[in-house]
Amino acid sequence: MKYQRYKYSAENELMYYEFYSVGPKGHIKKVIEFSETNVEDVYNLAFGDYDEITGKISDRVVTNNGDSLKVLSTVASSVYAFTSKRPEAWVFATGSTSVRTRLYRMGLTNNLAEISEDFHVYGLKEDQWEDFFIGEDYKAFLVKRK
Amino acid sequence: MEPKDLNKKKTPIVKIDKELEKHRGKVLFPEKLKRANKILKRVGLPNV
Repeated sequence: MKYQRYKYSAENELMYYEFYSVGPKGHIKKVIEFSETNVEDVYNLAFGDYDEITGKISDRVVTNNGDSLKVLSTVASSVYAFTSKRPEAWVFATGSTSVRTRLYRMGLTNNLAEISEDFHVYGLKEDQWEDFFIGEDYKAFLVKRK
Repeated sequence: MEPKDLNKKKTPIVKIDKELEKHRGKVLFPEKLKRANKILKRVGLPNV
């Protein structure tokens, strides 16, 4: 990845990760999760903030810690880690809001040349998957190792 | 390994933390998973 990323920890199956975002708002714990979907070999990717006071996790909170590119690069890195253990896996992702979905798109766009070397990348448009193109609007994303 | 070298590696070196095993299998983002299942049921997967 051409952007810096945070170091993270994971459990042994590489389905759950934690790292800290560091910025003007302080140290904010983030979690990344890959969940099995109802379709074999397809996993849902989600990430969000862990509230250390309430113990709750939110994928809707806007952290504003000035490091969104670094956070996205960290999440992208976890996809590399996850699929290195499960090369047959498809990884599905969509934002919890349209702003978040655009953020995902930005992460893919910024790293597309590199990601495309290793992954098939698809975007969901009008209920059809198509090859991901920079500048297009998509509802969801899907990647699979080449 | 220096952090700058770590950042250049595509497949990252992952620190395994046994404390995190307790989170495995729990669905922390159920709404998103529900949405993913709904979309996948409707549109399926692309042909590779």
